[in-house]
Amino acid sequence: MAQTIAAQLDKTLNDFERNVPHVQATAVVSTDGLVIASRLPSDVEEDRIGAMGAAILSISTRSGRELERGEMVRVLIEGTEGYILIRSVGEYAILVALVEKEVRLGLLFYEAKKCIQLLREIL
Amino acid sequence: MADIKQVVLERNLNPYHSFFSSFFAGLAELGMINQGSINIVSKRAAEYLYSYLEAKEILPDLGAVPGDTPTEVAKNLILYINKILSLVGEYDFKDAEDGMAVLMIAGNTCRICPKGVGGAEVKGTLCPIPTLIENLVNRIAQKDLLELVTSGIEKEGSTCKAYFKVLN
Repeated sequence: MAQTIAAQLDKTLNDFERNVPHVQATAVVSTDGLVIASRLPSDVEEDRIGAMGAAILSISTRSGRELERGEMVRVLIEGTEGYILIRSVGEYAILVALVEKEVRLGLLFYEAKKCIQLLREIL
Repeated sequence: MADIKQVVLERNLNPYHSFFSSFFAGLAELGMINQGSINIVSKRAAEYLYSYLEAKEILPDLGAVPGDTPTEVAKNLILYINKILSLVGEYDFKDAEDGMAVLMIAGNTCRICPKGVGGAEVKGTLCPIPTLIENLVNRIAQKDLLELVTSGIEKEGSTCKAYFKVLN
């Protein structure tokens, strides 16, 4: 039996988290900041992740264009305790990942790219 | 965007409507706000507005709010909120299927739309009304009367709709 879209999204996010050690949480949100699917710890407010992730990507995309840096590839926010990775998934969705400091960035970027391809197929 | 003069006159805007809608339109065009963030800040605004109404001593007497059903009570509270804030011109709030109620707003009478009034040229919706109504009605009713089901507003032609679960 075919899986629901929600189940397919959840599996894709789960595989991404399994393939990249130190990924703590992931979410797929719409470009208007509403959560489509998520695997977040209970202490993380899903609505805020959605709204902020979409806003950050939107501002970054606009900044990239205004400052002639071309199309946005990814946003990586580095904090003292870890990273936030935000990438566009096509025209209407965004992948947000909360990652620990110990992550291998090369692996994170590679797997994120693969994950986005799968998410695009689902959405 | 429609002619500003036409929007101002046809929708009977006051200066605060103009300020609010154009201010949020600017933020949206910079990519700083979206429907998700508007939902979050509308909840905060509802709390603030409740404190404002309390401070001004203009909260309705709950015992005197007419209505035989929870939907009718909510409808009358929405009427009160709209009188105070003058959010929209034409709207209706009525029972829908599956124990839900629907708020239907004539889009061309909304006075605070960042897109239709403020002129935001962005994709998606930017409506503060559903979350504001949900939270302010519940705050005034002092119980959970409405639970927003839609994640914002849904446009159907010229009508903007938001669905709520009506709780007893």
